[in-house]
Amino acid sequence: MRRAALALLAVVPALRLSAQGLPTTPPKPTRLAPVRFPPFKETTLPNGLAVVVIEHHEQPVVSVTVSFRAGAIYDPAGKEGLSELVAELLSKGTATRTAEQIASTIEGVGGHLSASSADDFLTISVDALSDQLELVFDLLGDVTLHSTFPTSEMELARTRSLSALALQLSQPGAVAQRFFASEIYGRNPYGRTPTRESYRAVTAEDVAQFARERLRPAGALLVVAGDVTDAQVRDLIAKAFAGWSGAPPSGPALPAPVTRLAPELLLVHRPGSAQANIVAGNPTILPTDPIYYAGRVASQVLGGGADSRLFLILREQKSWTYGAYASLRRHRGLGYWQATAEVRTDVADSALVELLHQIDRIRTVVIPDSELTAAKGFLVGSFPLTIETPSQIATQVANAKLLGLGDDYLRLYRERLSAVTGLQARAAAARLFRRSALTIVVVGDGARLYDRLKAIGPVRIVDVDGKALTPGDLNPPVTTVTLDPRQLESRTESSQVVVQGTARGFAVADITHVGDSVVYSEHAGTGNGMFDQRTTVVFSAADAAARRLDQVMIRQGTKVEAHLVYGGGRVKGNNLVPQPDGSVQQVPVDTAVPPGIVDENVAPLVGSSLVLAPGQTLRLAVFTPSEVATKVLTFKVGQPETVVVPAGTFQAYRVDVTGPRIPLVLYVSVDSPHRVVKQEFVGQPAVIELVR
Amino acid sequence: MRSGRMRGVGIPGGVLIGLLMHLPIWGGWPAPALAAQAGRISYEAFTLPNGLHVLYSEDHSAPIVSVDVWYNTGSRNERPGRSGFAHLFEHMMFEGSAHVKKGEHFQLISRAGGSENGSTAEDRTNYYETIPSNRLNLALWLEADRMRSLAITDENFHNQRETVKEERRLRVDNQPYAPAFIDGMTWPFDSATCFAYAHTVIGSIDDLNAAQLSDVQAFFDTYYAPNNATLVVVGDFRPLELRRFVNQYFSEIPRHPDPPSVSCASRVGSGPMRRELTDAHANLPAVMRIYRVPSHADPDTPALELLNVILGEGESSRLNVAVVRREKAALGTQVAMNPFDSRRGPGVLLALAIANQGVDPLKLDTLVAAQLDSLRASSVTGEELTKAKNTFRSGFIHGRETTLGKAEELHHYDMFHASPAEINTDLERFLAVTADDIRRVAGKYLDPANALVIIVKPAASGVKQ
Repeated sequence: MRRAALALLAVVPALRLSAQGLPTTPPKPTRLAPVRFPPFKETTLPNGLAVVVIEHHEQPVVSVTVSFRAGAIYDPAGKEGLSELVAELLSKGTATRTAEQIASTIEGVGGHLSASSADDFLTISVDALSDQLELVFDLLGDVTLHSTFPTSEMELARTRSLSALALQLSQPGAVAQRFFASEIYGRNPYGRTPTRESYRAVTAEDVAQFARERLRPAGALLVVAGDVTDAQVRDLIAKAFAGWSGAPPSGPALPAPVTRLAPELLLVHRPGSAQANIVAGNPTILPTDPIYYAGRVASQVLGGGADSRLFLILREQKSWTYGAYASLRRHRGLGYWQATAEVRTDVADSALVELLHQIDRIRTVVIPDSELTAAKGFLVGSFPLTIETPSQIATQVANAKLLGLGDDYLRLYRERLSAVTGLQARAAAARLFRRSALTIVVVGDGARLYDRLKAIGPVRIVDVDGKALTPGDLNPPVTTVTLDPRQLESRTESSQVVVQGTARGFAVADITHVGDSVVYSEHAGTGNGMFDQRTTVVFSAADAAARRLDQVMIRQGTKVEAHLVYGGGRVKGNNLVPQPDGSVQQVPVDTAVPPGIVDENVAPLVGSSLVLAPGQTLRLAVFTPSEVATKVLTFKVGQPETVVVPAGTFQAYRVDVTGPRIPLVLYVSVDSPHRVVKQEFVGQPAVIELVR
Repeated sequence: MRSGRMRGVGIPGGVLIGLLMHLPIWGGWPAPALAAQAGRISYEAFTLPNGLHVLYSEDHSAPIVSVDVWYNTGSRNERPGRSGFAHLFEHMMFEGSAHVKKGEHFQLISRAGGSENGSTAEDRTNYYETIPSNRLNLALWLEADRMRSLAITDENFHNQRETVKEERRLRVDNQPYAPAFIDGMTWPFDSATCFAYAHTVIGSIDDLNAAQLSDVQAFFDTYYAPNNATLVVVGDFRPLELRRFVNQYFSEIPRHPDPPSVSCASRVGSGPMRRELTDAHANLPAVMRIYRVPSHADPDTPALELLNVILGEGESSRLNVAVVRREKAALGTQVAMNPFDSRRGPGVLLALAIANQGVDPLKLDTLVAAQLDSLRASSVTGEELTKAKNTFRSGFIHGRETTLGKAEELHHYDMFHASPAEINTDLERFLAVTADDIRRVAGKYLDPANALVIIVKPAASGVKQ
């Protein structure tokens, strides 16, 4: 192909063909002109307000932020969440505008106005197209100087914050970060997080006082970026903030975080978690510490992105996670570093061991030149990407100023990173990543994690609310099963399997008695030969203890069988286990099981036969043949409801079953014998309904 | 305009934002007083003999360039039993090609000071790099090498399959509300007549487990071809130099037969649907209302987009004012159309609300429904219409501030509109929408017969008060 192209080139020299086809190695860089940080103007007004103006005339947009030293660390103890509520309320009413008026005024022109609080700073942001510059400053001045914090708005904000907290506690990543901050900082304000009690403790006077005392010009920073001129901005600030004055707000000295003497592992038990969230790290340095640059390089190599050790090993090599990363974070006070990974539960211990090994490695072995060059290539080379928009530029300038990084910071940032050597990076890693005082938080299903994690080190266990748990709490005691023969009288039940409103399968179950055993035989299938399964479980009529499981499954013409015998504290035989490639394999089984274990195939039957009344909680120890695992299934009995199925209309208790891979909701008839008249599968559109 | 923006208030971080694999930004309309060029994108186009369609636009305001390839394939091309495949395949594209080892794609871009990613939606899969402008050739070379010669091995396949399963667990299975959300988007469509949109983009764990290596090769052969792809380059480059690189790197990649087309038959108003689900992780109840909307090309689309802004964008939206503030029933509300990205369609319009503690979800649904009904019962106010158009005006400009943003806009118009030239005229359609139009589309599409209502209840263990 190449030869032909060259020959053709010789014949038709004017024709521009691809010279040589695709090169076999990456092409080399072409020349790049040096890039400088864009210019900006900074002044300090007589009232102490620092002002930065970044002119950027690419697009007719403008954004303004005002940042105050009024973040969460200034919340009084016991009133965590105060600064967050103040921020929320700043846009909810001034002396001349209601919340609705503020919203419709700014949103009516296609802009945004909001305020939020982070650890150190409370920031008010307004953005719009630049033809609305006057309105932007008018609103900004109004909310900053004249907010009234109406009581009704306060109560609404509190209600929503309490709900937001409940939402947060249901999200594993948020839970992990809450505990991590609290563990590494202890009583230091950077570690405090709002609670139900602290939100409830905040009063209207607290809000007004906080705003009065902390939203002052001295110590605050106003940054304007976009299609503006310095002269325009000065005039608008003078007008919008006329008369604004006040001494700088005070800040309490921040207590040092407790120094750990040994690594600590906190397991946060979140039942039913589909993964384990791992966060590991410790407090580090003040923002102006010059070791930052070497530390930044080390954290980039360890976990800065897809081209970093944690990602390449934990994800690309081991297939344990969608992503693993590490980063160095700065506050005005002591910052911290953390490594994170969300991993498959069964490999959480292996992943943690590998993570700790990588921390050890970067602290003790000098980073090879190739990785050092690669990390700096990104940290220094990506600079042009970080100054594309005025908002990006504004964020960098604000960051440098608010953290007190010095006037040289932006100009010399790249140079200082480039100068970092492998030895310096190692020293920084050794100092910053405190292996011997590491805090590790793991959020996940404690019942599946505890034994694995305790092999790594001592483990403390809490629930998501922070209440201490014992290992026993992870596997609460099971209910002693005494079967009532009337509940398991011989009968046949037919059900249909309905998927998205259409009947797609059937299940016919027979319950009979042979000697002192109950025999449960079920025939289920799709009716068209695609899937057909016959299952027989034999169990004790006295206490439901499993005796035998026989199963024949025909799937797309292929037949596989399972036969298990329970006895003497063990289960033995051959079982059907779904494989990763979708096939079902016969797998030999010979494993210990607790006495009295119930086969999971009859768990709904056994569980429903024990149901007595709303509010009841039953715990059944079951063996799950398809996973070759012992589990506890929890049945929580709710209120009776009217349930309509093809077999008729029933009064049925709603019973929520947690513990199986896919949780269930059973509707168990109130009348004896209790029958499962309907079964739902959490998160799946399939339902099983009693037909006869 | 590109879909995908989740608009809403109060749900911290956007509960479902982390779920979304692609989150482009809206477009809008410039007011006459503004610089005439604001938001206008000038571009050139050419097509190689092998069918690769190329669009480029110069932007010398920053010394960077974005290289963005769209393959005309996504989850809509999957067959029953193989959901999640297009997304799994997207992962495979980062695992190496004839001249690039596993991991090297990330390494080469990162070391050059660039950022890269890809994402899968229903109708398209994109791969993009933003990189200092002196490495344009590197980005193009990487895209060409993997378009021509992806390394499909057992090891890479098993590795990325496990990775994708963990991604699903991270974004969906381990999160409150996410399963209801992604499944909910598919339920308005019938597998028999529109499998394309009747299954999730991320796929089920069972289907992912069932995928075979031969499926990967077949998918590559069918969909990953220059005649099924568009390359867009925006930024600081010289056109002659770009054309030279493109010709050199891409022109020898052979074309494949054109892939089979996919159809979707779905009727608006085919009947109300309702589901009640238990969520094992949620502490608070939630309500989702999902409505079928027509294809992107349908003339009703601009009015629907504006309706969505009025319904759910910002503190002044109908849902926020009534349900969050006046009734105090919701922690927050969100609306979206086709959250993963625009698609040929038909599509979905979603309105969701998370209840405050102690609020019954059925009551919450009544309040949400009342707001939707109010848009059908009477016209929006002049103020609301102005707000919606100005929101577009502003979003339009912000969406075109970056080279990557512009590249995605060019792709959008190339794929979902009759001509990429509409990139500079489409706004007029939004400008022309009247209050009557909005009332008419509300009547037609927010009809209860066109609604899927999903009530999400926490599992019995629920939240402590």
